[in-house]
Amino acid sequence: MNTRNAPGSTMSSESVEAVSSANVRPDPRLTVAGLNHGFETDDGVRTALFAGLNFSVAAGEIVSIVGRSGAGKSTLFNLVSGLLSPQGGRIEVGRRADGGAGRVAYMLQKDLLMPWRTMLQNAVLGIELYRKVTRHDIARAREMLARYGLNSVVDAYPQALSGGMRQRVALTRTLLVDPTLVLLDEPFSALDYETRLALEDDVMALRQSSGTSVVLVTHDIEEAIAMSDRVILLGGRPARIEDSVDIKLSTQGPRTAVSAREAPEFRTLHKRIWGGLRSNTIHHTGAST
Amino acid sequence: MSDVVMSAQAAGRRTRVRRLKGLGATSGVVILIMVALVVLWQVAAQRAWINGQLFGSPLGIYKAAVVGLTQGNLVTDTLTTLNETVLGLVIGSGMGIGLGLLLWFVPRVAGVTEGFAVILNSIPKIALGPLIVIWFGSDMTSKVWLAGISTFAVAMISSCAAAREVDQDLLNLFRSFKAKPGMIFRKLIVPSALPWIFSTLRVNIGFALIGAVVGEYIASQAGLGHAVFVAGSLFDLNTVWLGIIILTLMATLLSWIVQFAENRIISWKTKR
Repeated sequence: MNTRNAPGSTMSSESVEAVSSANVRPDPRLTVAGLNHGFETDDGVRTALFAGLNFSVAAGEIVSIVGRSGAGKSTLFNLVSGLLSPQGGRIEVGRRADGGAGRVAYMLQKDLLMPWRTMLQNAVLGIELYRKVTRHDIARAREMLARYGLNSVVDAYPQALSGGMRQRVALTRTLLVDPTLVLLDEPFSALDYETRLALEDDVMALRQSSGTSVVLVTHDIEEAIAMSDRVILLGGRPARIEDSVDIKLSTQGPRTAVSAREAPEFRTLHKRIWGGLRSNTIHHTGAST
Repeated sequence: MSDVVMSAQAAGRRTRVRRLKGLGATSGVVILIMVALVVLWQVAAQRAWINGQLFGSPLGIYKAAVVGLTQGNLVTDTLTTLNETVLGLVIGSGMGIGLGLLLWFVPRVAGVTEGFAVILNSIPKIALGPLIVIWFGSDMTSKVWLAGISTFAVAMISSCAAAREVDQDLLNLFRSFKAKPGMIFRKLIVPSALPWIFSTLRVNIGFALIGAVVGEYIASQAGLGHAVFVAGSLFDLNTVWLGIIILTLMATLLSWIVQFAENRIISWKTKR
């Protein structure tokens, strides 16, 4: 029923190819090639979520994946994070600059801090799970927490702190394992606007400080544009890349969460992605009837 | 930042203080009502409004206590029952909790074992009393067994459930950090099961006590159950009451100990 080039699709196969090849970066930190994945419903009908999906993420690049709910964003997230194994195709995490194996770490909307651990203990969890925590690690964790303005609460328990503070600890925990690729799934959507802008800045600063690549899964177009180098619009079933938008903003001064939103191109980009999402809904429902 | 924490701590303290005050007022009323009832009971027995032979009386209970302490075996009986209860509770619950948690490693085996545990749990454990006494004799061993069996299944079922019900997102987080099963068990399953374990222990105090006392009813040479049973057959109602009161105090004391341990071990729940 739902083939890759279903009638009613707005895109011809050539343009899909063109979009896909534009999404392949040299020396990538993440390569998704020919990804096939689907699920079987209770009545035995197999639904393909992905059929030959291709894209890659370069070192130090921030890529947002937007799409309507049900577009397969969460499944893609679980596949890239390794919680699911792909049924077909390749998902490769590139090696780090010194040749060591790459590491993926993720962060969700839920901060997933453990109530029986202090902020500091929560922050070093990732390290603790694969080797002994050294004094150096503790120092690094303290330093990072201090950078996020949390030095006075390192020994407090999560219950005592605000959502923004907790999410910063979750970010610290994610970054302390020195990931080459950070996956974020709507990480800031539960936070108030101000905290959210601050955390967006924190993530954007990663690229400068450690060259970490970031993949952000979100339905918030503004956040996607403000933070990313590229926005990938996922839609249809099986999901394919409907559009891939390089985000180039002429901001006043350095690019921050606020200055990005004030850039002159912001509205145009927003319109284009929003339009893509909406047209996608129409033929999505069209294809399923 | 620190202001936020401090105000949060202050708020925590305020609610705690309010709760303590509330607790003080409530327990004051409870004590007042109890004293009134005891006085009423004593007056009723003295004025022969009720049959003192059938109901006993507070003063009679006090006399029974003095006699039991000076001439009888009250201390020995109390210690015997306490011993049986605590041993049964620790061994039965300990094995149940340990097994229940360890079954997390083997979900398939857990399903089968849990099925058996549910069957074991649905047996009225007291009905096993005669069997246990025949197998293990009429001394302390049989009571420890009965108390242990009474607590084992409950402990196993609930710790099995606690391990299974662990937050799936946390479990995924551990997996994404490539944690080995042993690590997940130590650092996630056990700590998140602790609150369940303590509430199971509190429930099990009662079950262990029932096991020990009923075991003593069936066949014994010592213990509060033995004392109550003998006194009951002699219509010595005051001694029966005395036994019941001591058993209640014992249960309360054990609850306090478990609560104290819980507050120490799960300190993150109170430290805010």
